[in-house]
Formats: sequence, C-alpha cells, structure tokens
Amino acid sequence: MRVHRRGFIKYASLAAAGNIAGLRPFGALNALAQSGSTDYKALVCIFLFGGNDANNMVVPYDTKGYSNYSSLRANLALPQNTLLPLTPLPNFALHPSLPDVQSLFNSGAAAIVANVGTLTQPINRAQYLKGGIVPANLFSHPDQQEEWQNAAADGATPTGWAGRISDVLAGSYNASATIPMITSVDGDTLFCNGMSTTPVSVSAGNVGGGSCSEGSECGARQAAAQSLLTFASGVSLVTADNSITSNAYSYDAVLTAATKSVTPLKTVFPANNGLAAQLQQVAEIIQVRAALGVQRQIFFCGIGNFDTHSDQLTLQASLLSGISPALAAFYAATQEMGVAGNVTSFTMSDFARTFQPNSNTGTDHAWGSHHIVIGGAVKGGQMYGTFPTLALGGPDDSGSNGRWVPSTGSVQYASTLAQWFGVPVAQLASVFPNIGAFSSNNLGFV
Amino acid sequence: MNAFSPRSGLRFAFLSATLLTCLSGCSSNSGSGAPASPTVSVSVSGGSSTRLGATTQFTATVTGSTSSAVTWQVSGVTGGNTTYGTISSAGLYTAPAVMPSSSSVTISATSVASASASGSVAENLMNPLPVSGSGTATQVGSSLNYLVDIVGSGFVSGSVIQAGGVSQTTTFVSATELQATVAVASGTTSLAVAVVNPNPGGSTSSVLTLPVTYFSTTATAAARILDQTSFGPTTATIQHVQQIGIDAYIKEQFAEPTTTLAAIPSSPLPAVCLANNTAYPCAESEWWTAAITGPDQLRQRVAFAMSEMFVVSTQSVAGQAIPQLHNALANDAFTNFATIMKDVALSPAMGAYLNMLNSNKPATGQIANENFPRENMQLFTLGLAMLNQDGTPQLDSSGNPVQPYTELQVQAFARAFTGWTYAASGGGSAAKFPNGTADYVDPMAAVESGHDTTSKILLNGTVLSAGQTAEQDFAQAEANIFNHQNVAPFVCKRLIQHLVTSTPSAAYVSRVTAVFANNGSGVRGDMQAVIRAILTDVEARAGDTNASYDGGHLREPILFITAMIRGLGFTNTDVNGSYESLSNYSTNLSERPYRANSVFNFFPPDYMIPNSTLNAPEFGIENTATSTLQMSLADSIVNNKITSFKVDLSNTSALGVLAASPANLVDQLSMMFMHSQMPTNMRTAIINAITPLTSNAQRVRIAVYLVITSSQYKVIH
Repeated sequence: MRVHRRGFIKYASLAAAGNIAGLRPFGALNALAQSGSTDYKALVCIFLFGGNDANNMVVPYDTKGYSNYSSLRANLALPQNTLLPLTPLPNFALHPSLPDVQSLFNSGAAAIVANVGTLTQPINRAQYLKGGIVPANLFSHPDQQEEWQNAAADGATPTGWAGRISDVLAGSYNASATIPMITSVDGDTLFCNGMSTTPVSVSAGNVGGGSCSEGSECGARQAAAQSLLTFASGVSLVTADNSITSNAYSYDAVLTAATKSVTPLKTVFPANNGLAAQLQQVAEIIQVRAALGVQRQIFFCGIGNFDTHSDQLTLQASLLSGISPALAAFYAATQEMGVAGNVTSFTMSDFARTFQPNSNTGTDHAWGSHHIVIGGAVKGGQMYGTFPTLALGGPDDSGSNGRWVPSTGSVQYASTLAQWFGVPVAQLASVFPNIGAFSSNNLGFV
Repeated sequence: MNAFSPRSGLRFAFLSATLLTCLSGCSSNSGSGAPASPTVSVSVSGGSSTRLGATTQFTATVTGSTSSAVTWQVSGVTGGNTTYGTISSAGLYTAPAVMPSSSSVTISATSVASASASGSVAENLMNPLPVSGSGTATQVGSSLNYLVDIVGSGFVSGSVIQAGGVSQTTTFVSATELQATVAVASGTTSLAVAVVNPNPGGSTSSVLTLPVTYFSTTATAAARILDQTSFGPTTATIQHVQQIGIDAYIKEQFAEPTTTLAAIPSSPLPAVCLANNTAYPCAESEWWTAAITGPDQLRQRVAFAMSEMFVVSTQSVAGQAIPQLHNALANDAFTNFATIMKDVALSPAMGAYLNMLNSNKPATGQIANENFPRENMQLFTLGLAMLNQDGTPQLDSSGNPVQPYTELQVQAFARAFTGWTYAASGGGSAAKFPNGTADYVDPMAAVESGHDTTSKILLNGTVLSAGQTAEQDFAQAEANIFNHQNVAPFVCKRLIQHLVTSTPSAAYVSRVTAVFANNGSGVRGDMQAVIRAILTDVEARAGDTNASYDGGHLREPILFITAMIRGLGFTNTDVNGSYESLSNYSTNLSERPYRANSVFNFFPPDYMIPNSTLNAPEFGIENTATSTLQMSLADSIVNNKITSFKVDLSNTSALGVLAASPANLVDQLSMMFMHSQMPTNMRTAIINAITPLTSNAQRVRIAVYLVITSSQYKVIH
C-alpha cells in the first residue's frame, strides 16, 4: 500500500536516529582538521517559502521577448527600464531589487537555472494534459515544498535529499565530527532528515543559547536534567522528545565551546534582515569548521511570505530587496574566510506562480520556476536549462494560466549539486531514486 | 509510696505491696528465743503494674545490715534490658516499648553487702494509653474509601482504629501513627475516629472528628482534563474539577460567557502598542490576557485550536483585525462548525490574509483569486485526499489518494467568492467595490459590482446558477463544502490532535466524526457535542488511570508559557497591564499568537517525526534549537526573570516552605504539573538532586526546572 505523506512509512526506531549524530567530546578533532586541510565543501540551501514568482525574477529583455512578457503580465509587468541587465546574457534581465545578484552573475559567481520543477519523469504539455505521471498534489504548498526537499515523487518519502547525502557521505568525510553534517538555521525540515541522519538546528544568533543561573549548581542541574531524559517511557512522544532534548544539550555544549573565542568576521551583514541573520550564522559555523571536525556541511536557510496572491509588485520587491544584500554579504564572508570556492548556495521554492495575473494584482500557484546558484565553484554568468515559451496555453503551459511544465526536474538540479559536493555517480541512485528517469544527472552549472 | 508514671501522666493508687522473701535461714527466726545472729534481708516495694514505656519507682528496704545498697534486676537481668524494661540504680523502672512474650516481669533487689539477701516483686506490664493527636481522611481515588491516618502516641501493634464506633482493619505504622482504609456512606461529611488499645490495660483514646471531602474525580483526572481544556491547571482549578467532576466541569465551561478581546483603535494606538507604532502587540497582549486569566478557559482553548486551523497572521494582516476574528472564534466555539466557517470566511482578518477581501470578478486576461478558495478546502475543511469517516485516506486502485476536488473546482470557488470588501462604517455593504476604508470591526460585506455572476460547478456536481448574488453564491458554496463527507473526519481529527492526542486511533476519530455528522438530534456540526465527544472518549480518559498510556501531544510553546504563568502563579507587573512581553518568549520558540509564518500554522498538521511512524504536529517546531531555547526560558522562569511578570519561589513561598522536605516538594510539583503521575525513577532523581542543596529556594528552582524541562512534562499525556 502506498499512502500519501511521509508518516505512513515505517522506518528505523527513533532511538537509533537519536544516536546517529555520534557525538564525541568536544575537542576530538580529526587529523585533517588539525592539519588545516582545505578539503571542505558546503551546500547552502535558501528556501523561498510560499512560491517565489520567478516570472518576475528573470524577465525577457530583448524587444520582442519583453513586449510579449509585458502584454501578458499586464499590470504585473515590471517596467523595462527598471530591470537589471545581465552582461553575459543580454536577452534577459533581473528584478530591480536584485542588484547584488546582478553583480554576482556578471562576475561569473552566479548562474540561473531556468524552469526547474518537481517531476517524476520528463513530461510535456501534451503528456500532462493526457494524464501523464506527475508528482502528487501539484500547486499545493506543503506537498510541493516537501517534494522539492525530498526529490521524490510525492511527499510520502520521509527523507530529504540532504539527509540522504549525509547518510552516504558522513562516514567518510565527517568521521570525527562533533555535530551532524546538516545544520538548519530555519527549524526542522524534511530536507535535513535522512535514514540515519538528523540535523542540528540552530537559532540564528543564539548559538550557545542554553543558560543557567544557578552558579556552582549549574553542572549538577544540567546533569540531572539530562539524566531524566534517559529514563524509558511507555509514551512514544516522550521517547521522541527525550532524543531531541538530549541532542539539544549536547550540541549546545559543542557549539558554545567551538564559537567561544572566535574573532568575529569583518564582513558586515545587513541588519534587520531575516535571511542575512541566518546566513551570518551559517558563515560563523563555517568559520569554526575545523573545531567541529567537519569536512562536509549542508545548511538549510529559509524565508517566507512569497505567496503573493495580491499586491505582488510591492511584496515581492520588498522580499527580493532583502535577499539581494544578504546573498552578497554571505558570498563576501566566504571570500573573507577563503572558502568562496568551497561553498555553493542555491535557491529552492514551492513553485513559480501563474504567469497570468489574478484579479487582485497577484498571482496564483504554478509549477516550473527559475532558480539561482551562487558560489566560487559555480560556472556562472550563464543560464542553464530551457527558458519556457511565455504563452498562455502555449507549448510549456500546463493549462491556460501560465503554470509552466518544468523542462528540468528539481531532482536533476539537486543531483548536480550533490555530485559537486562529493556524491559519487555510482551512489547517485541511492540518494535520488528517480534520477534514472532523466537523460542527464548533471546540469553542469557547478 | 507513690508510683508515678511521667510518660502517661497518670497517677496510680498508693500501693503497699511489700513482700518479704525468706531465704534459707528464714524459718529460724520464727518463734525461737535463740540469740539473734545478724540476718540480712531485703524487701522491695513499688507498684504492681506499669504501662509500656512508662516508669515506676521501686524501693528496696535492707534490714540487718548497715549498708542499704542493693543491685536491681529485672526478670533476672541486672539493670534490665530493652525486652523486659530497664531499672536504674535508684530503682526507677522503665517498662519496655513493646510487650514481651510474658506480660509480667520480676523486679528484684539484692543486697550488696550480702549477695544471698534479696527481695522481689512481680510487676504486670500493660499497654499504653492511646492518644489520638490529629488525623486526616484522604479520599482513595474517586471512591468512597478514605485513608484515615491518625498521628498521636501510645500506639501498639494491636491498636485498632474505630470509625463511627466500628473497628477497622488497622495498619500499625509506628507508635505514633496508625492507618486504616474506611468505607463511608455517600454524603458523609465527617468521620468520628478513636484508637483502641488491646489488653492488658486496654483503653480507648478520645474521639477525633475528621472532615471528609468527597471528590467525584481524582486529582489526576482533574489535572489531565485541565491540561486538555485550559491554558494550564492550577491548584485551585484541579480542586474545583475534583469537586464537581468532569461532566459538570464541561457543562460549566460551555455556559461560561466569552472573554472578549478589546477592539484596537487605529489612532491613537493604545499605550501597549504605541511604542512599536503598530497594533499587533496590542492584539497579542489582549490575547495572552484572555488565555491566562479568562474564566472561559475551554472556550478560549478551543478558539486557540481553531486559530491554528483557520490561520491568519499579523505578518501581513493589521493587528486591528485580530480581535474581531478571535472574538468570533471564541463566540462560535460552542455553536456549529458551519457558523465558524462562515464567520471566519467573512472576517476582515481572513479576508485580508487570503485575499477574499477585494477579490474582484476577473477582467479579461485575469483569473479570480484562488488563495482563499484553495486553502479553505485544502487546509480548513477537506484536505487533499478523500477521507474515510475514521480519518484515513481513500486510495485508488494504484494506491494513490483520491483527490476531493479538482483545479477547475478551485477556480469555480474562486469566482463564487468574489465581490466581498470591507463593510461600510457601522456594518453593511459599502457604496463601491472595493471599499478602500478599512473596517476591522464588522464582517466583510458584498458589493455586487465586484461579483462574478457566471455559473459555477462545485463539489459533487452542485451548480451555482448564473446571476446569483455574492451572498447567495457564498452561502451555497460554503454549504457545499460543509456538507462534504471529508469535513467531519478532517476537522475532528485536528481538534483531537490540538486538545488530546497527536495519535488518535481510527476508532476514536470515527466515534467523534459520527457525533459531528449527527449530534443525536439530527444536527450536523454541533460543536458542543463534538467537544464533549472528544473529551469524554475512552481514549481521552485512558491516561486518568494509566500513567503510561501511549498518547498525548507535545505542549506547544504558547501552552508551555501559559501553563507556567498560571501554574506557578506569576503576576503581571507591567505599568499598562500588558502581557505582550510573553510574545517575545514564545517567538524564540517559533510561536507568536496570530503571527504564524504562513497559513500552514506554526507547525503542519501532518508533521511526522523523522524516522518514525508518529504524526505529531507540534514536533514540527521541536528541534535542538528550540529545545535549547526552551531550557533557557525555563531557567528564566524559575529565576523570576520574566519581563513584566513576577513570581515568588523564595524560601518563604509556599513551595519554599514545602521544600524543607524534598519529597513533599516534588510530590506537590507532580500534582501541579504532571497530574500526580510523575514516574518513580524521575521522582527519585529529582529528590536526590535537590536534597543536598541547603537553600530551600534553590531546591524549588532546580526542582521546578527539572520538572518543566523534562520530556515527561513537555508531552501532555
């Protein structure tokens, strides 16, 4: 029986999951870290929750393309003279609120991947309209978020692709790590969980958040609190929470110790900017990678409110104008740390939005979307994938409102990043069970 | 000679019990005129009986010797022993504490000058006089049996408690404590008890009158239902529910009027939110206040659950819109689900959040806004799969869920819901569409010029004819959804998960769903019937008598904070009476009232704990980051560091006084926070952790910290 949602599938016991982190006392650094090895790579996922309207993020800029865009987008069309041109890609331009992405793209540190979406197998409009196989619950936020994160055919697969990468690589790269391979600065998400992987979650700016006001009794109090978490309970949820809380005590101690006497980064991150705070936290953890004993790390960041059903021009401009300087600061921080070529950031989002506006100066849920990849290793200044034909009811429309059928699967996007990160081709199928359905497992952008 | 028993305080009659003991040469003294050779003899005088533990003074009279010194023995043992009692060199006999095998002992004195000369007397031992100092009668569970505990003195292993003149099977705890379980008649309000000691020396104590309080409900059951139906049990509410019982408590709460949130004027803003120059902190303060102090706890708790099902967020909705929506949810909590659907849909808050507000009929080249129509079905009423009445999904022949609606139906509902805008000032339809003047006090009202009048095909083929008004389309579209078979299992399961358990059995969902479908009088969606069915279900109550019954749900951060404020008795100290500071603490833990990150609530209802089969929604925001921050919050709570609030956990506080006995403190915390169901190993560990501390205040702080950070507490079960 195959049932919708992650939960109906049985997996290893929770107790086992709790132990996977393989915690060791802080300070047990591995030899590579102590010798200052440069074999370090990090993937940084930036999830734009709600479904970013990529149709207004990457816009045709040539006369004919812009004119078509403008007539269909009507009151949601961005004025051509406000768009930010891309030097190596003259037929396209960026949303006016993304000047830093424009700079990164023009300097070759950023790439665009066009019309990526959740797919079980390649499909076109005709096949879709005939009832071809597509992922479950298209156009539904939670399902599409989950399917981007688990790179599977539906939300029922209970592991994310980062989690599965960790399952495969943690043993060889992070054998001496004191924290898990995956760190989330935006809570627990499906993306981060593997069969034998659970993430460490960090509240941005709150590393070392555990506090105790009992002076000399603190050690005893914390020990007693942790001892209570070891008692067997007949209540499943108590057992589950014991595992999370035990890890919380352990990781808090590890991160507090590792970050205690670090010289702050010089890079200034924009203030009052949720994504910037998260990326700064990511940078500060990368900074102490040697102390944490990690050679491979995957980070999850996320910001929300992209579900712009109304007043889209104002809302999206506000959101993107927060992202742009945050991405710039983070890239600068990786340069400052000398790891710009070792860190690759990329966007994900539920879906794009209808090309056709709705009656509230907004847009509704759609499918294939454009995404941005940033990093020193990125073969930037290019667009990968195939930009859709912007025509309502046209060859790339799944219906009549401009909900693009993806020409590239999100699993291909993920697989490309995974290979750069170190997943051998031979093990791709264990991380991405669907990858064989696609002609290419590497889009070549990094 | 007076024999005086200082222990019992009783005076004995004067006794003249002198016995001469004739030894070998004795007879030669009698009747002969032979010259007297000096013969030493000893006679002993004193009492004839002594109560256990009491004393009697004996006197030895030595004749025929210049030395009056004697050696005392009790039943042949010099100086006596604990079995027979002891005797001092001065002849003061102290009876043993426990009756020896024979109740008679021999007191003898032997002349020091002449070891062959001695005298003796038999002394009878008697049980002590029982004294009943004080007593309690504690109900056993919710039965008519009471554990009578009498503390006094003079108790022996054969002592018997009499209740109402009837001897009870009595447990001898110690010479100062006796217990018996006494069955009383229904309606009994007091119990006359006394202690009877057996012979020898049998005696009855004075009578004690013990008050008998009958609780129909155990403390455990009372605290559990309060954790399910309020923002945290308190000692007072636990006792109240114990007294009136669960059914009466639910009835009482159904009748409790709504604590309403005050409307927030736009200009000038109240002082509470003036500093931030935005209204939502005012709405939050109002909300926290109602949740923590409102007498309509169940109503507010159901409204809170509803606010996590019908989600709006002040991240994009003006704070002024929140009181109207919340008051509607609270007012409607005990009405009908159809009423809730309607009032939510027409609230300016939901209208603004999911864009039904000002959703216009689409012009050429546009589509009608799908936001509210889609989420109204997907998140609020139907879900993404056809459901069986037990909440499980229906699958097609390939094992895929059967979808309850199509994309075309979303678009049809989108057109049906067009034409609504802010009401005119004071309510009613505005003059134009859209009405640009915000009215956050009244429900939205329709303006026909904004309504799409084409026909629409809804669920189950229901057709809305062309030319209907916005009101007609709205009412029929909502009725179309309300009557869909998914609504009952969808809504009931979520309510169960919010109030009782993340993991209800399919049978539990079925039982509640059946009540939703028909309350017994043919009414669908009767909320009182549904709530009662949820709370009184055997699965909801199983934990009342089985502490490890597998169920429950994680205490979400907002409920953790309210439970602390209520349970520990924090009081507000803010100059404006604002409760808004609590939002800062809950935000750290990923919750803030009416300010979720998206319409999917703080946590998704279908969240699965990784690598498990457990659907446990609240765990969606329980991770190592929030868990760490919650420990820090617990540290602030026990150290009285909550902004705008204070609590007394000092040496002289109630808990501080109790902390003189670590066990008593921990048992009290178990009652307050863990339904008196703290596991034994946890109890022992906490007692051991605090016993070495010399400060009672610190004992309290650390014990409370250990309780409230434990997963046993965090998971309400």
